[in-house]
Amino acid sequence: MNGTKRQINAWTFVAPSLILTLIFGVYPVFWALKYMFYDYQGFGTPLFIGLDNFERLFRDKDFWHSVVNTFIYAGGKLIITIPLSFILAVVLNRALKGRQLLRAIYFMPTVISASVMAIVFYVIFNSYNGMVNQLLLGAGIISSPIDWLGAKYALLTAIIIAIWGAIGNYMLLFIAGLQNIPEDLYEAASIDGAGPLRKMWSITVPMLGPVLQMIIMLAITVSLKGYESIMVLTEGGPYGKTEVMYLYLYKLFFPVSSGGSSIQQFGYGSAVGFTTAVIVGLITLIYFYVSKKLNDIY
Amino acid sequence: MKRNQWMLAGASLLLAGSLAGCASSNNTNAEAEEGNAAAGQTKLVYWSIDRHDSDFIEQKISEYEGLNPDVDIEFKVMADNYAQSVDIAFSSKQAPDILRVDTGNVPTWVKKGYLESFDEYITPEMKSRFESILINEKNTVDGKIYTLPNIGQFWRLIYNVDLFEKAGITEPPTTLAEMVEDAKKITEVGKAEGAYGLAGNFKSGSGFERIAHPITTLSKTEGQEGFNFQTGQFDFGMYKETLEALRQIVEDGSMMPGSESLDIDPLRAQFAQGKIGMYFNHSVEPSVYKTQFPTEIRWAAALPPTIDGQQNGVSQVISGSYLAMSKDSANKEAAWKFIEWMYSDDVQTAYQEGGYGVSVIPSVAAAAKAPDIAGIEYFLPTKFDGIYPATPFGATEGRLEGTKKMDVFNRYIFTGGDLDKEIQDLNTRYNAALEKAVAAGDTTVEAQPDFSAADLQGSLVIE
Repeated sequence: MNGTKRQINAWTFVAPSLILTLIFGVYPVFWALKYMFYDYQGFGTPLFIGLDNFERLFRDKDFWHSVVNTFIYAGGKLIITIPLSFILAVVLNRALKGRQLLRAIYFMPTVISASVMAIVFYVIFNSYNGMVNQLLLGAGIISSPIDWLGAKYALLTAIIIAIWGAIGNYMLLFIAGLQNIPEDLYEAASIDGAGPLRKMWSITVPMLGPVLQMIIMLAITVSLKGYESIMVLTEGGPYGKTEVMYLYLYKLFFPVSSGGSSIQQFGYGSAVGFTTAVIVGLITLIYFYVSKKLNDIY
Repeated sequence: MKRNQWMLAGASLLLAGSLAGCASSNNTNAEAEEGNAAAGQTKLVYWSIDRHDSDFIEQKISEYEGLNPDVDIEFKVMADNYAQSVDIAFSSKQAPDILRVDTGNVPTWVKKGYLESFDEYITPEMKSRFESILINEKNTVDGKIYTLPNIGQFWRLIYNVDLFEKAGITEPPTTLAEMVEDAKKITEVGKAEGAYGLAGNFKSGSGFERIAHPITTLSKTEGQEGFNFQTGQFDFGMYKETLEALRQIVEDGSMMPGSESLDIDPLRAQFAQGKIGMYFNHSVEPSVYKTQFPTEIRWAAALPPTIDGQQNGVSQVISGSYLAMSKDSANKEAAWKFIEWMYSDDVQTAYQEGGYGVSVIPSVAAAAKAPDIAGIEYFLPTKFDGIYPATPFGATEGRLEGTKKMDVFNRYIFTGGDLDKEIQDLNTRYNAALEKAVAAGDTTVEAQPDFSAADLQGSLVIE
């Protein structure tokens, strides 16, 4: 095959996804980059206002509160999800009877839509007849119902749901990584007298390095961007206690709650969108810098 | 090998083409359906947001098509993300000819260029039937009519008669103090079975409003939605007494646990099970308890309590908009004829008698019988119900900086705080946003120094 033909073939394959990415991925970014300097509500003539939207953003306590909530939500989710899914992966990577079934069960939440998940969890966690309270009351652990979706516990409940939804997914990625570790390394370590913990620490973890780095990066970005289940569960309430960055952003473009204004704020929303993207991008970059060693070990 | 590569490439292109084609598939369907309509027929597309009356509307459409064989109407209920669906339809030139419009969207949709004014089409006779209930920025924008009202939401305190009797209460509360006291008594006798005095769907912003708006509008004369018509400024002080009463109910432990995260439907389900003593909602509730949550409990409804027992204003009736016509319609004459027929006394009387809503059109209210639904009698228009003018609340919140009033108030109700300070801060921020909204031309609502809600008393009943 000559060079030109090879080029044509390559571009033919790349073109469909490239066109779709340009239309649905790149164009909206440029659109937002323009309108973040405008006062624009989706109708009339957009009014150029320079950096006013960013000035407003720095004054906007609700936005920064949502950033803090996002860090708590993402941090809480990651701290539990990553170790737990790793342990599950190690256990289910062994010659265990019924492991395929167990893998499927743990993976199940990944294929369920976040909104459906949130509706089911609303039934489980609501304070007046939710199953969690009934179980805890029945077991004598609590004496009166806990308001799991109230101001005190709503974010914790959202984190629990996120963990439940994510564990199976990361478990599967870890299993894929574990299966790439050559068995003879473990055999050699056994001959040298290494125990299971030693093998885990000296072989499994270092050999998983690059995979681990990617999984954690994926988990960080997904957690920072997560909002769907919270939107269904609490709409960011009560009074902003579960408001996360992307839900705050979503509401500016698509106001969701009755009782509030239904006017879209495309200009300010674009500025918030840009800032949230920068925040997520910066955290990812910092993570990559800090986790460089994970790549080196291999 | 080469052939395989080209076949794969061809398949990829086909796939991409079909994906890209998704966007225009509706158009193709519409064209195909148009083709299916009998020759010479005018095709009209009608979108609604209401699911509860879709059977009635379909029946009326069939009736209209029978009377007008040259018209074919395609009716679609677009219940989810309606505003977004309408935006997309207009930007992709697939807008319906006739569309249901919510009050809050009228000025915005006019500015977006979606709606055709009725002025060229409406007859003087028809106009006179609606003249007394036309409201600026709900029906009219810049003096032109874009939609007409049909039914209204009549707001009441809804209560469980069994729980009231158990608590030794003989009458529904008429003052805020009585409401607080009754909630306490009901909780004392009901808590062991999981029943509480009062509940609100505070998950949504409307949770606070469902309680506060009826109480405040019936108690006071200056305005609603925090907007004082007399001064043309926001003054959330109008909610102070109601907020303090709700805070007291929470402190007493008489608010149903979980109200902070409650939606309206779970609230209704709990009420139907006898777990809630009182809550506030509007005239759709009888049909809800007839079809959605059939209940064994004895319930009734009454006019909302007021601050001191005096009914100085009118309980707000949410009403104002119903059908609108698309500016892009190629068949405006035919669309108008259908709209005119839908607004006729005959159709609107049948609508009320069918139990789909309580009409605010005076000629219909006078002629229509009460629907055959248990409990609707509590929601029929009284002297103390009235439609307020439009406020600039929506346009103002679109320009608001900082926390919205619903979050501020919900936080106060459930956790307390310095209410005067919160109200002052809200007034400052909302009035600053109002100034911006006026400057940007988002609203034309102005102060009405002579406004008094007392003047609205009796406006919806023909005596």
